[in-house]
Amino acid sequence: MEFLLNSMRKINNDQVKEHAFGTEQSLEERLAICFINPKDFEKLKLVSSLHLKISNKEKDVIVNVEKDDNVPEGTVVMPVSIWSNRLSVVQNNELLYKNIAVKIEATSEPIMKFKEIINELLVKK
Amino acid sequence: MELYKFLPKTNCKKCGKPTCMAFSLDLLQGKVKVDDCPPLLEPKYKKQYDALKELLGSEEGQQKELKINIDDKLCDGCGICVTVCPVNARYCPSSLSGKAPDYPPEKHQLFQVIGGKCELLKIEYCRRLEAGGRERECRVCETYCPREAVKIEYV
Amino acid sequence: MKRFTCSGCSLLCDDIIVQSDGLFISEVMGACLKGKERFDQVSAKNRITSPLIRKDGELKEVSWDEATKKAIEIIKNSSIPLLYGFSNVSCEAQDVGIKLAQKINGFIDSNASICQGKILNKAKSLGINLTTITEIINKGDLIILWGANPAETVPRLLNKVLFSRGKFRMTGREIKTLVIVDPIKTASFRVMGVRDLPLIIEPNKDIDLIRMLKEECCSVDSIPSQGVAGIDKNDLKRLLLHLTGAENGVIILGQGVIQPHPDYNLVEELLELLQMINERQEKGRISLLLMGGHFNMAGFDHVALSSFGVSGKLEFKHNQLIKTDDTLVSKIEKENFDSSIIVGTDPISHLPHSLSSKIAKKPLILIDNHHTATSHIAEVVLPTAITGIESGGLAYRLDQVPIELNKIINPSNNLPSDEELLNQLYRLINQGGSE
Ligand code: SF4
Ligand code: SF4
Ligand code: SF4
Ligand code: SF4
Repeated sequence: MEFLLNSMRKINNDQVKEHAFGTEQSLEERLAICFINPKDFEKLKLVSSLHLKISNKEKDVIVNVEKDDNVPEGTVVMPVSIWSNRLSVVQNNELLYKNIAVKIEATSEPIMKFKEIINELLVKK
Repeated sequence: MELYKFLPKTNCKKCGKPTCMAFSLDLLQGKVKVDDCPPLLEPKYKKQYDALKELLGSEEGQQKELKINIDDKLCDGCGICVTVCPVNARYCPSSLSGKAPDYPPEKHQLFQVIGGKCELLKIEYCRRLEAGGRERECRVCETYCPREAVKIEYV
Repeated sequence: MKRFTCSGCSLLCDDIIVQSDGLFISEVMGACLKGKERFDQVSAKNRITSPLIRKDGELKEVSWDEATKKAIEIIKNSSIPLLYGFSNVSCEAQDVGIKLAQKINGFIDSNASICQGKILNKAKSLGINLTTITEIINKGDLIILWGANPAETVPRLLNKVLFSRGKFRMTGREIKTLVIVDPIKTASFRVMGVRDLPLIIEPNKDIDLIRMLKEECCSVDSIPSQGVAGIDKNDLKRLLLHLTGAENGVIILGQGVIQPHPDYNLVEELLELLQMINERQEKGRISLLLMGGHFNMAGFDHVALSSFGVSGKLEFKHNQLIKTDDTLVSKIEKENFDSSIIVGTDPISHLPHSLSSKIAKKPLILIDNHHTATSHIAEVVLPTAITGIESGGLAYRLDQVPIELNKIINPSNNLPSDEELLNQLYRLINQGGSE
């Protein structure tokens, strides 16, 4: 399904905090996550054991998904993190963090690990 | 001036106040209680006495005890409850930009933020216990908390 | 009792009480959770207390000598170094950073440039006032949050601007009207009362709203009956009345409006609308406040202005400032750099993958006090003291007011401050040059 991705800072899903006081596991729990409207949750036939694959022309990422009434239908919210930034875009020399066109689909594949992303970056050296 | 209506309006001064009007003002602010007016206790004023008790939310009628709970998991210490609570506001000192909560807390102060979380210091001076009239209906701390961490309950 | 300034975010609350014996902090009063966590960073598990170098793919602890030598080597082998970050350090450190960039012919920029730099310049050229927190507390009557969600980023901002009781009016929340424009019902919406105006706008439709307001400014009658951008006609009427009737309004802009659009410049149009309103208003005005993240977001521009007369990015060739059209983003995108010095920030997490992967390809020197995603790919990590706790300095609050930060405890392991470390690098490079 076509969605708009909005990345925003959230006090309970904050990378600085998780790096400092959490574990790698809590980092993944809190930041490899997205929020969608409960109606979309149903439309996608999601259940709590499934994850969401979000992709666009940049990259893709697999994250946990939670229901949030405050998110309008057709929008997916992610806390700003190394996960959400796989999808953010450079446009006319500026950075686009909000209203990014993405495709989303339910998946049973595991979420993307922090180490995976880092290793992918390190390989390029 | 709803309260004044129900007083004996005789200005008998038995309450220690110069006039019934003065008494009603103090009643509104919770400085005196309905029972502090001796004539009101007489049978002929029974109706007015009951009406006043009801208006002020009589303590005897209210068997349940007021509890203000702050959910530690939700609270992010923004301090809005500290600033917005009218009791804090009345007693807190003036600062360059208006009134600010004091540290260590002023003796009436209900909330303070410590260690990044809000803490209820005491409840005695909460308007829901102390004040009269509409002020007694205060629940602004609950209304404005952006994380919905404050809950006012009677248990 | 002495009050300290919190460096947890750009609000720089200066009313924090800290109990400490000079070595440890035992109690923090008055700071929000984010601020408290800033103080806890001192002993966080990801704290770096000795310098690190990457050897065989792993970061290893080494001596300061070895680490600085390695850093100098990287800098010397680099002809177009990129210096980036500087919004989590003091103005003094920013100043030395610029000196260093000049010395090594680098391109230097702060986190602010990808956020708010441009808005300020535009606002200045249109004559829109910036306002201060104190002024909003004392005199404000209309607060508009546009694409800003302070409840999640600057936790005490709403407390101060909306709830504090001002000096002249002695009332707080009662006389202030809050308007929030956002596509998502964020946590900030929860402080709304009955007289406030929540406007949930359709995504990417802000421009329609602004253009409608510009056209119809001050004429309530010609609002389209079906509303605009998903906002109801009556709400639009109320918005117009508030905008044109406020005596001391402030519009707080956040990330939401700074987003680029291919066909138009949202911020510019919004500022033009403000200018228009201000010109027609007889007794009131609407001014501007920018919401930043890092505690010294606003400082870099001031430092660059005072030492080189330009705000924002600086590029040096032959130790001279040159005019450049490049921005941080274009530099990285075109891979027009061959090493990077990152100071107090985490670009690997913050920047889009297309950029962070390019930064990761080149040697990276990280100056920071914590492990982050960026430290995982750095070549050299030079740890420093935490500004505002273990070292002092000047910082600019989000309303451009300079505030002094204090040293409260001694740094763990006697770590140098950012300023001292950058100075040391500068000295070492200077010596090398004369040899
Ligand atoms: S004691 Fe009662 S009757 Fe006498 S002045 Fe006071 S209120 Fe009036
Ligand atoms: S208003 Fe709510 S979140 Fe803020 S300090 Fe009070 S309880 Fe905590
Ligand atoms: S109910 Fe009112 S008086 Fe009582 S604690 Fe809350 S804000 Fe304060
Ligand atoms: S709002 Fe910002 S500066 Fe103020 S206490 Fe919280 S983190 Fe610190």
